[in-house]
Amino acid sequence: MSEPEPATPFRERAGQALRDTFLQEALTIATTKFIGLRREAFAEFPEGEALRDRAREIKEATLQRLDHYLDLLIDNVERHGGHVHYATTSEEARRIVLDIARRTGARTAVKSKSMATEEIHLNDALEAAGVTPIETDLGEYIIQLAHERPSHIIAPAIHKTKGQVAELFARELKRETVPDPEVLTRIAREELREKFLQADLGISGANFGVADTGTIVLVTNEGNGRMVTSLPRVHVAVMGVEKVIPSMTDLAVFLAILAKSATGQKLSVYTSLVNGPRRGGELEGPEEFHLVLLDNGRIRQIAGPLREALSCLRCGACLNVCPVYRQIGGHAYGYTYPGPIGILLTAMLNGTESVKDLAHASSLCGACLEACPVRIDIPRMLIELRKDVNERRIAPWSERVVFGALGRLLQHPALYRVAARLGRLLQRPFVRGEVIRRVPLVFGDWTRTRDLPPVAARTFQERWAELERPGRR
Amino acid sequence: MTTKAEFFDRIRAEMGRTRDLAPVAPSVRPARPRERLDVLRRELSERWRENLQRFQHEFERVGGVFHRVADVGEAPEAIARIASERGLRRIVAWHAGALGVDVVAPLTAKGLEAVAAPDAEVAGDERERRRALAAAADLGVTGADLAVAETGSLVVVSGAGRPRSASLLPACHVAIFDREVLVESLVQAGLVLEAWHDGAAPPGRGASINVITGPSRTADIELTLTRGVHGPREVHAVFVEQGLASRRV
Repeated sequence: MSEPEPATPFRERAGQALRDTFLQEALTIATTKFIGLRREAFAEFPEGEALRDRAREIKEATLQRLDHYLDLLIDNVERHGGHVHYATTSEEARRIVLDIARRTGARTAVKSKSMATEEIHLNDALEAAGVTPIETDLGEYIIQLAHERPSHIIAPAIHKTKGQVAELFARELKRETVPDPEVLTRIAREELREKFLQADLGISGANFGVADTGTIVLVTNEGNGRMVTSLPRVHVAVMGVEKVIPSMTDLAVFLAILAKSATGQKLSVYTSLVNGPRRGGELEGPEEFHLVLLDNGRIRQIAGPLREALSCLRCGACLNVCPVYRQIGGHAYGYTYPGPIGILLTAMLNGTESVKDLAHASSLCGACLEACPVRIDIPRMLIELRKDVNERRIAPWSERVVFGALGRLLQHPALYRVAARLGRLLQRPFVRGEVIRRVPLVFGDWTRTRDLPPVAARTFQERWAELERPGRR
Repeated sequence: MTTKAEFFDRIRAEMGRTRDLAPVAPSVRPARPRERLDVLRRELSERWRENLQRFQHEFERVGGVFHRVADVGEAPEAIARIASERGLRRIVAWHAGALGVDVVAPLTAKGLEAVAAPDAEVAGDERERRRALAAAADLGVTGADLAVAETGSLVVVSGAGRPRSASLLPACHVAIFDREVLVESLVQAGLVLEAWHDGAAPPGRGASINVITGPSRTADIELTLTRGVHGPREVHAVFVEQGLASRRV
């Protein structure tokens, strides 16, 4: 288990989010905007649909020869003078980064936005070791100052108002300011520019690792990825093993769909291709480059039920379209990765146990599958997870009993007919008008948030049997 | 600590447990990318006007400012104009060899403080000094090793005489380019990247390639689009019609 379990149960976390009126508004505005931008971007890019299929095939082909491509990537990174490290767990990944920090005498580390380093909870470990981590993506910087966690994969601070950010800057940076995004951004630029120039260590994730050339690819809009990989004397990139792709030709395919899916841009502002440490003649660039290859539950899924989730590009498109995410936002999920894909990734990193509630935080409407640039069948895997939660007896006993009984009824017509007749009798005290609003005992969970239609006076089966009777034709 | 062998043993063991996978292949890499690129460049040279038009359209869409000059002699003037209109004085530039034009002398003559990067390895303290210069500069002048019409992107390859900071630290970035570096699409840019990585890196090639699509931006506070959060607030592209005599990547 790599991530701590949230302190409060999911139902409570979701309830809290639903009562937060600002969050509700912010979520609606943000996700609606992202959906529109994505739709426009693909509308004027007819070749996009075929490229999505192509991208998925490349991911799958890479996975089928993962050892080969990783080995090639490692060879090429080392050929350029980089060092490669292998982390089986998040704990090990943290130790590797801390060792590098200690050996190089690093006091401050500037970080570009990286879900992989969020996932391994690197910042707490750095701080505990006396290295000050500084998040440099504006959204991440804001939530770091507020001691919070990201609420969206690509827009980590969408839950904050400009007023809240201004108060935060006044309190934490001692800079009084008007609540104007333009002014706030300028303050962040000044504060962080100093940090970039002084930091000893630059820490990034990796959107892609190109095996053929040993290149780490970072995609950012702000330029912090370029700073982090060019200014400090040591650069460490933490990359999930599934991020490797074969060639530059493949990279072009992914770049054509990634930003369109995430923000509706044709390309993000900066696509940075990093090939190890500074080379002779260059004025800037790190003296040392380290690549940390992260397993943390991924390798187990190569032949596991969540294999498809290894194709995820972390674009956030599935969050924006998810009717559950749109209501509760990222924090309510309780772990690093929110949204539909987040449930799968949480199960991947922390085991099925961690998603016993989250596996149900989906209406299975299929919007995520539709939006996913590489067409990951998220609903199918959510159903599998629910099955696993049930079979491994992680689900509450009441749920298991009820669904077990229902399963048997639906498989045996005779039993079903008896149950229908019995239900018609037993439901009498609970039918109000045309619906059942509340049922007793363990069944009460079902009617907590939804009504139950009563068993009909004559069921479909009974009417059908009547129609089938000879002489009625 | 996990060793490479242990790490790969686990990967291979899991790969061995997979069943019924449909055979799929990654993209076909061009066998001789440099030759393919030569052919492509010849084709593109006939369509450069359309491509330039599309580049300008897309570049302006992402917030870039497009300029066009007849020949290389006019490039420093265009830069000086950009600087004076904004009251910018301190300029850092790529080395004249990488840029295809000496901008330092004409800019200095106009009373601006212009410095060009050295085109060979320098000692650590000199690198520090140079970095401080770039950090204090108002405007950075670079070439462009590729201009992608489909996305309005400028691509810069780092190396000797081609500091990364010139397109990153100053609040205003001016890139000079010509028709030779224009391609139509991202797919073609993929071919160029293949060609650049084909065989051993030539001397002076740096470790960083950046595809730049407009000015630095963020929408992290209430989704309000704001420019220049870390990188340049403004990006200018100066197209030189008669071409540049720069050292190609």
